[in-house]
Amino acid sequence: MSREEVEKLAKLLGLELDVESYLRAAEELARRVAEGAELRRRSADWAYIESRPEPLRTALKLLVETGDVKLVSAVTGISPETLECERIEARIPRLVV
Amino acid sequence: MSLAVADTCLLINWLSFRRWEDIFRLFRRILLPSIMVPELRSQRIRGRVEELVYRGRLAILPRADYVDREALRIFNLVNSTPGLPRIDEPEAYGLAYAALHGLPFLTDNASPKVAARSLSSLKGVVVYDSLDLLVMLYRGSGLRTAVEEFMSDTSVVFSRERLREAGVELEPRGG
Repeated sequence: MSREEVEKLAKLLGLELDVESYLRAAEELARRVAEGAELRRRSADWAYIESRPEPLRTALKLLVETGDVKLVSAVTGISPETLECERIEARIPRLVV
Repeated sequence: MSLAVADTCLLINWLSFRRWEDIFRLFRRILLPSIMVPELRSQRIRGRVEELVYRGRLAILPRADYVDREALRIFNLVNSTPGLPRIDEPEAYGLAYAALHGLPFLTDNASPKVAARSLSSLKGVVVYDSLDLLVMLYRGSGLRTAVEEFMSDTSVVFSRERLREAGVELEPRGG
C-alpha cells in the first residue's frame, strides 16, 4: 500500500494520521517480526504439535509459520485463549518486538 | 497508576507467569472489555478470571456503541497496512476504550503501539507490553531473573532490540 493509499484510507475513515511516522514504524516492525519465523520453527515442540488432534494440529503449524494468534484464530475458529494456552504447551515462542 | 485495559492474550500470558500477582502492584484493577470474555474458554483461566473479578482486581467492561465506532476505524486502518501484525475486533475495542478514557492499554501485539504513536485520536493512550511491565516492576539482576522466568513460563520471547533498549542482558542459550 502506497503512501497516497494510506493517506486516502485515513481520510476516508476520518482519522488524523502522521502518515510518515506510521509507515516508517510499520516497515521497521515488519523487519523485526520477520525474524520470528525461524525462531518459532527451531524452538517448537514438534512431537507435541503432531500429537494434537485436528484442527488444533494444523492451527499450531500455522501459528509456527505466521506467529499471529489472532490471524490463526480468525482462520480456524479456535479461540485466541485456546491457541495461547496451546502455544505455551507447544513451546512456540511469541516474539515481542 | 490505578486502572488499565488489557488484551486477552497478554492477560493469559500473565496468568501463566509464576509472579502473575505482581501486575497488581502496577494497576489496582485491570479492565477487560466484555467483547473479550467469550475468548476465555478454558476452565483454568476462567476460574482465575472469576476469582479476580470477585476480589475486585478485574472488571468486565460493558460494550458501548461510541467505542465500537472508534474501534472499527482503528481495525480498518491497522489491518489494511502491510507489515503490521493483525489486530482483532476485541483488541481494537480495548485500545479505543483505553484511548477514549485516557487509560494505559496492555498488549503484546506491537501494532497498537505503532497506531498510538501516529494517530491523533489515540494520543491519550500509553501502550505497554509485557517487557514494559517487567521493567516497571523489577530492577537490576531482579529484572533479568524476572525476564528469564517470564520467558520460560509463557514462551514469550523478547526481541534483541527490545532487551537491549531495556538494558537486559540474558545468558546465551546453550545448544
